Amino acid sequence: MAETFVPRIVVFATERCAYPGADAVGKAHQEYPSNVDIVRVPSPVLFPEDFYLRCYAQGVDGILIATCGSDCPYRGAYEKIARRIDTLTSRMKQAGMPIARLRITAICTVCIKAFLKEVTQMNDELRHLGPVDRALATKLWRESLARRRSAGKLPRTA
Amino acid sequence: MAKENEKSSPETQAASPPRIGIYICRCGGNISDVVRVEEVAAAARELPGVVVAKVETFLCSDPGQQTITEDIRKENLDRVAVACCSPSLHELTFRGAIARGGLNPYLYEHVNIREQCSWAHPHDRAGATSKATRLIAAGAGKLARAKPLEQIRLPNHRRALVVGGGPAGMKAAAELAGFGIPVLLVERETRLGGWLNHVDRVFPSEEPARELLARLEADVRGSSRVEVLLGAEVTAVSGFIGNFQATISGALGPAGSPIAVSATVGVIVMATGFEPYVPAEGEYLYRQSSRVVTMPEFLELMRQQPLGIPRLRFDGRDVRRVAFIHCVGSRQVDGVNAPQPDGKINAYCSRTCCTTTLQQAIEVRKRFPETAVFDFYQDIRTYGRGHEDYYLQASQSGVTFFRFAGDEPPAIESVEHGKNGGFPLAISVKDSLTWGEELRLEADLVVLATGMMANAHSRGIIEMLKLPTGDDRFLQEIHPKLRPVETALNGVLLAGSAQGPMPLHESLATAGAAAARAAALLRGDAVEVQPFVAAVDATRCEGAGLCVEECEYEGAIALVEQAVEGQTVRRAQVNPGLCSGCGACVAVCPQGAIELNGWRIDQYEAMIDGLVESVPEAAALTR
Repeated sequence: MAETFVPRIVVFATERCAYPGADAVGKAHQEYPSNVDIVRVPSPVLFPEDFYLRCYAQGVDGILIATCGSDCPYRGAYEKIARRIDTLTSRMKQAGMPIARLRITAICTVCIKAFLKEVTQMNDELRHLGPVDRALATKLWRESLARRRSAGKLPRTA
Repeated sequence: MAKENEKSSPETQAASPPRIGIYICRCGGNISDVVRVEEVAAAARELPGVVVAKVETFLCSDPGQQTITEDIRKENLDRVAVACCSPSLHELTFRGAIARGGLNPYLYEHVNIREQCSWAHPHDRAGATSKATRLIAAGAGKLARAKPLEQIRLPNHRRALVVGGGPAGMKAAAELAGFGIPVLLVERETRLGGWLNHVDRVFPSEEPARELLARLEADVRGSSRVEVLLGAEVTAVSGFIGNFQATISGALGPAGSPIAVSATVGVIVMATGFEPYVPAEGEYLYRQSSRVVTMPEFLELMRQQPLGIPRLRFDGRDVRRVAFIHCVGSRQVDGVNAPQPDGKINAYCSRTCCTTTLQQAIEVRKRFPETAVFDFYQDIRTYGRGHEDYYLQASQSGVTFFRFAGDEPPAIESVEHGKNGGFPLAISVKDSLTWGEELRLEADLVVLATGMMANAHSRGIIEMLKLPTGDDRFLQEIHPKLRPVETALNGVLLAGSAQGPMPLHESLATAGAAAARAAALLRGDAVEVQPFVAAVDATRCEGAGLCVEECEYEGAIALVEQAVEGQTVRRAQVNPGLCSGCGACVAVCPQGAIELNGWRIDQYEAMIDGLVESVPEAAALTR
């Protein structure tokens, strides 16, 4: 039943900004749905595209990438993340996977309202969407992984 | 110190299944009033590799930590997770506890079930309990795959480079020498002292600046440990804490011609100072009227005044009235003040100009009783102990004050004064001290109380080291309160007004702090840094080199030739001292051969599997 469906949402939150930002929400005793799980990460630039697809394949219904935005402490990382998420979004779109399952936003250490807005909106959207298509995600994951694997192969001369 | 026994040896850890201890904190009710902790512990006991799962009231207390260290021995645990408050509070506490228990401190996982669980879901006990269970399963999955890590040890060159020979640089150099550390002090000008050379007396002690400088210089010159390079600039610099390489050019060698000096230093103290704000042409008629001068120009004028004359003299004439205007180049307002060449306005307060202006106003009244003083200000910000006395004294000595709003600064015009005795300048102001009356006052001389700008000459070294600067262009500390003299680049410290406008006593205080911090960083033969850097699995690396291309930190990853089974191949190698630990390389490796220590992709995959584990059909996808 669509009404009782509770999506699984994972937030990848940067150690310097978004993770302390999520802490600030709790410290202020502001509430958000308990289906939102937060995972600490130095920078999401670490994750290849296939990592996100594996999350969906495992049953994660929505991913929120909560970055430091322009306050990113690592050189060029934010731009790399933004590009990777762009590519991933267009692949998902092409394959017919709702792009509402993937969000990227900047959350600062005191951005309580922004955090609440993002997770609440995502919850509302995913409740309507229903569970993730794990078979489709698995197929996309395999393709994406194969693409990364072959990136290292040097072009052969005929 | 890790105990030398079989359970802390990496080989046995890899060979035998993990023995995990999970400790859940009630936090005196902060957690357990919402999360049903006994249920969570029961679920944790079912997780693979978990030997012990216990609930305690305050795990961060001494007895709480002791429970963990005792269990490590009793239950032969080889890794530990604690579910409690945010890692920002107690991650290091528990790493220390398990190290005392004889485990590698990186075989620890911190699970946040307070800020990100009980406090965020106080009215959803079932949801919070289930979330805590999931977060612990994720943590246990990550922990089971954790590998022991050692802090990275890098050689530490016990020598300091101090950039800038003003008061802050001299103070830092002298203090470092006092700690027994050899110092290279580089000054761009051909003499030490910086802008203090242009000051007559310093507030609030009214000591002659010359005497202070002489004492600072004697400390520097008197130490055999300080090498001073004058007329010199740092033209190249790279490296990391303990291991910076710098080239200093321009200093005169023994033959009298400029030479380049190369130095390896362990720390760099940035004492590059400020430069005075120079008004744009026409700003308050600057450079359009010779009778509008800046504060540094006025200080010079005051030094040249003869003794025993009743009126200040300027340009061969008596000055009957002098007007000071505060906040020139400081506290600028968008849309009112023209932006600087970089497009930004100087929104900050320069913090020293109010007291300087009042000091000079008093000085004029004292030495030239027939020269009247007008003072146009927005706010009198006499920061610091004893500084407010200048305001009182100025008021008592007959200085007339006018107050303007930042968005309605006074306007100056030239007055035709061919007629005898007229004033050459007129200042119009909307004076809030007289409830907004529009006043027009005439004067012989206008002094612009110009503020501080970040020193443009330091831009080169800032760019070479990629040091963070603020919106005000000054160098930025890591944390204004907790780490006030350290920059984001470990081993580079801040002394004096390179960090922002500050009076002399603050400059010297920060210089002392920077020297002490530098000495602390240089105290060992090696520097230890957190092990969260990239590491290459040489058995999987095929030398594609995508990681090298992706890396933004020069020299952090390189392809090096290695002999593998009799053949010479190229393999990626990480320089831990240059790696920032961002992980950009990890995402592009075709073989998954490069990983970020402590945050490996297989650990993240295990976390996700832990979070979704209650989905019955979820079986781990492996690569």
